Amino acid sequence: MRLADSRTLVPDLVTTPVAPQADRRLIETLANWCDRYTPWVAIDPLGDAIAEESAESCSAGGFGGDAGLLLDVTGCGHLFGPGEVGERALLADLVERLSRHDFTCRAAMADTAGAAWALARFAETQAALFCPANGQRDALAALPVDGLRLDKPILETFLKLGLRRIGDLYPLPRAPLSRRFGDQPLTRLDQALGKIDEPIEPRRPPPAFRTRLSFAEPIGRPEDIAAVTSRLLAALCQQFEQASVGARKLEIALYRVDGSVDRTAIGTSRPNRDSPKLMKLFEEKLGELDPGFGVELMILSAPEVETWTGAQDMLPETAPATANPLGEDGTIDLADRLALRLGAANVVRLLPRDSHIPERAQTTAPISAPAAPHGAWARLASMKGVRPTRLLQRPEPVEIIAALPDDPPRQFVWRRHAHRLVRVEGPERIADEWWRPRPGGKVMPAGIVPPVRDYYRVEDNDGGRFWLFRDGPLNGARWYLHGFCA
Amino acid sequence: MPIISPQAFAPPPANDRGSPVPPTLREQVRRLERAHSVQRAVRTAMPLGLPKIDRLLPDGGLLTGALHEIEAGPTPSGRVAVHDGAALAFTAFLMGRLGPGTLLWCRQPSGASDAPPYAPALAAWFDPARLLMVVARRDEDLFWAMEEGLRTSGIAAVVGETRAADPTAGRRLSLAAEKNGVPALLLRAQPAAPQSVCATRWRVASAPSSAPDRARWRVELRRNRFGKPSVEEMPSWLLEWNDEAHCLSVVPQALDRSAGAPRRERLVG
Repeated sequence: MRLADSRTLVPDLVTTPVAPQADRRLIETLANWCDRYTPWVAIDPLGDAIAEESAESCSAGGFGGDAGLLLDVTGCGHLFGPGEVGERALLADLVERLSRHDFTCRAAMADTAGAAWALARFAETQAALFCPANGQRDALAALPVDGLRLDKPILETFLKLGLRRIGDLYPLPRAPLSRRFGDQPLTRLDQALGKIDEPIEPRRPPPAFRTRLSFAEPIGRPEDIAAVTSRLLAALCQQFEQASVGARKLEIALYRVDGSVDRTAIGTSRPNRDSPKLMKLFEEKLGELDPGFGVELMILSAPEVETWTGAQDMLPETAPATANPLGEDGTIDLADRLALRLGAANVVRLLPRDSHIPERAQTTAPISAPAAPHGAWARLASMKGVRPTRLLQRPEPVEIIAALPDDPPRQFVWRRHAHRLVRVEGPERIADEWWRPRPGGKVMPAGIVPPVRDYYRVEDNDGGRFWLFRDGPLNGARWYLHGFCA
Repeated sequence: MPIISPQAFAPPPANDRGSPVPPTLREQVRRLERAHSVQRAVRTAMPLGLPKIDRLLPDGGLLTGALHEIEAGPTPSGRVAVHDGAALAFTAFLMGRLGPGTLLWCRQPSGASDAPPYAPALAAWFDPARLLMVVARRDEDLFWAMEEGLRTSGIAAVVGETRAADPTAGRRLSLAAEKNGVPALLLRAQPAAPQSVCATRWRVASAPSSAPDRARWRVELRRNRFGKPSVEEMPSWLLEWNDEAHCLSVVPQALDRSAGAPRRERLVG
């Protein structure tokens, strides 16, 4: 029915433009919120219609599409009470809290995702929404076949054949059914009844390590949040110790009273389980968190952990001096702190590389990489000729005046400033590394002389010392400034 | 240059009424003079190995718990130096003499014409494996990173390459250095507004060398806060770095002809 026709029938019809992206965001927010019950939350794949831009797919399922959330609450019910009581309490709590935020929702719980999906949509009584253990066969029998998540053509054929209830399918022979309709009806039926597994794919990988703390009264002061974080950290670090792992990444999530979630994460450059040190890293980040109108629950999780490689905790006096010059605890922790604020790419150590090309001889590595072995730099420095203390990232072209084309330069002009040279040392010839692929990915054709660089250390009449090179084949060479010497 | 003259607070024998100065006031004054009296007793210095210079420095060397500035000077002909290769080398020489531990090097990138320090050359003075390089885009981030470094154990020296001159940041760096006994070095490619809190300020410029591998630097000690007064108003030396023997030496005055007439500048601070 078109909007104009609808308006004719109902003159005071309230209309809203379709906003699939907003719907998507809302369902994401709800999924985040549901993390309070279980880390294993998935957005119902059949609700994907809301993600698509086309308005038609949305109108098929009404406003918001068939959006739904699947929660795997295995082992979570005991937080609310023993056995089935706890599971019922969890379900009631979910509905009650959502209704507090003005959401109308139908939540069902069953042994299988398929059964819960069908019950949430088609159960007729409030009591039927909770399906006790192994009760899905009876619970589903009276529901319409739409509850099986079937494709539309199959559904229409079922209705034509008079198969209106899921229970109507139970006595049918399986082989002809599969021959007539393909695998889908039987697969869906078996999934709903729990005969085959149906994995739920969580939105974010559930962390193996997680601690939570909920509050009777919402908290909001930064000091309180810091205090809770430090308590959660201490608890999590105990878990780490038992599993002999250390955290590489930690995430703290604030569940606010208005249903939204704010998260922030820290990273470390090596497995860490020292809660005061981790707390120091968090202190940098906690300021970014916005408690909003109050926080009712905080969850600290470790999405990335690694096997503990650190030394056994020792008394400071007995700790051996490490061979790694940057391996000292203080430095690594400092690097973590700096990297958190400045970005990991901006806190690096320098590593030597076996290359004759000056700009390739020095490379940077993250602080977690092993340091250069002792003396590697000295060996590199002793092998090469004189090197500048500063190396230009990009060599800058200079104008050269020389007596003869192949002679050393007499004068060079850099940035419109002439430098008369009184001392020239060189050349030091550095040939191209032919074994490396060219930047374009092409291999140098045989018979062509590869480009070479002739480096000169020059001194101008003012005492300034520069590092120049002549690039390219000897004829038609260009000159560049590449560095500044001591 | 003491901020508070010791005479000004010297306890007078008696005040108007003839009663002595209350001890709390004396304690307060002592606390005010902390930088000059209390800290002096515990600080340590790192000799440069150049007796002519060490003689002038307090405690015979570069104070380890203090802020030091090294700026690139103009060339002998008075032009603004286009690079600070010599100042960087002098800084590296100082860092090489500072005890074991990590060297934190904070710098600001300067776009397309960025010229970071080149480790194969720095290896002449210290093992570049000790370096922790930090790139901070904003001034406040750079000063923050330096301060964090000064507060960390296991750091031998903190170097900051910046053009910014922030008196508050300089004061904070100086206090952090003083508290932890870690030297902070500010390397300036161009002379900046002087920071009154630094213990020493050096101006280093390249000078014509005498032979290949004998780089020479003109080094001026422009400020020497706690040091002994010099006979000259602006002590200045010609240093020669021998790249083969790896040693730095002061060129004797008799051979120091390149400097021309001694400059008549007043010692700042």
